[in-house]
Amino acid sequence: MKYSLVLASLLAASSLFAAQQVQPQVQTVDTATLQQTNDELVQVKKELSKVRNEIQNVHDKAVDDAYEQVLKENKKLTITVVGQGVAPMNTTSPAQAYALAKRAAIADGYRAIAEKLKGVRVEGQDTIKNMMVQKSTVRTQVEALVKYANVVETAFKEGLCEVEMEIVISHADFAQ
Amino acid sequence: MRSRDGNSNLSRRLCSVVLFYSLALDASEYLISYRYVVKDAILYNDTLQISKSMKKCQGIVHSDALILDINDSKDLNKIVSENEQEFTSYIHKLGMHINYSDITQNLQNHSTAVLTLKTTCFKVDFNDNFVKIAPLQ
Repeated sequence: MKYSLVLASLLAASSLFAAQQVQPQVQTVDTATLQQTNDELVQVKKELSKVRNEIQNVHDKAVDDAYEQVLKENKKLTITVVGQGVAPMNTTSPAQAYALAKRAAIADGYRAIAEKLKGVRVEGQDTIKNMMVQKSTVRTQVEALVKYANVVETAFKEGLCEVEMEIVISHADFAQ
Repeated sequence: MRSRDGNSNLSRRLCSVVLFYSLALDASEYLISYRYVVKDAILYNDTLQISKSMKKCQGIVHSDALILDINDSKDLNKIVSENEQEFTSYIHKLGMHINYSDITQNLQNHSTAVLTLKTTCFKVDFNDNFVKIAPLQ
């Protein structure tokens, strides 16, 4: 009993001593790591906000790409199209073939501009007999007046002429 | 009425009128229409009609005029045919009416595009070395 009391007092004293010695050490370690973790946290937060911004930008761009551009007031909109034309077989010279193909390509370019600006009328008709398609017809029609369209680039290769055309439109052009 | 210092005022006026009219005499008005047809991406037919206007046209001269070089010729048909590329590209810029139709029957496609410049009055000024062509709006 006497020994046990001595042992207990020794243990208590040693634990007290140990606590006195260890406690300040633990406290110093904690503040250092806390500071470090705080810095890291701030950095991570910054990076997270950067990534969020990037994701938002990508999302906005995707949304812009998905929807067609809309003509707004006091803003101009440039529409670019490519028209294709073929030279006839019975041309007398390559120059004539080029000239004729270019004119056909310009007509196609005008058609493409009209399609974009005014729209296309589409009509379809299918004839089905005995569960089989007998005849399938699709008609499209475009009618418009196109002014101030410009030919930007012309390329002629192997009888095919491609013209890049553009038209700048503003809100005032359509105002009534 | 005879003035005191001779007829100088009257003669000056007369000269200026004669000079003005002699400059304006070569300005005339022409009616021009153009139409071309493209079938299946191949130019099929084009028609350019030019005729002198028989009565005076109404309207304001377009600011953007076409200037073509000439060699003492006053025949607009000849001048335009010699500079066809320039003239047609100028006409295109003024505005063309497009009528396009397309038919796909049993997966075979045929298309027809008709581009038209409706009859428009143009003011044509003939000069020594060039001609100035501008539409009236």
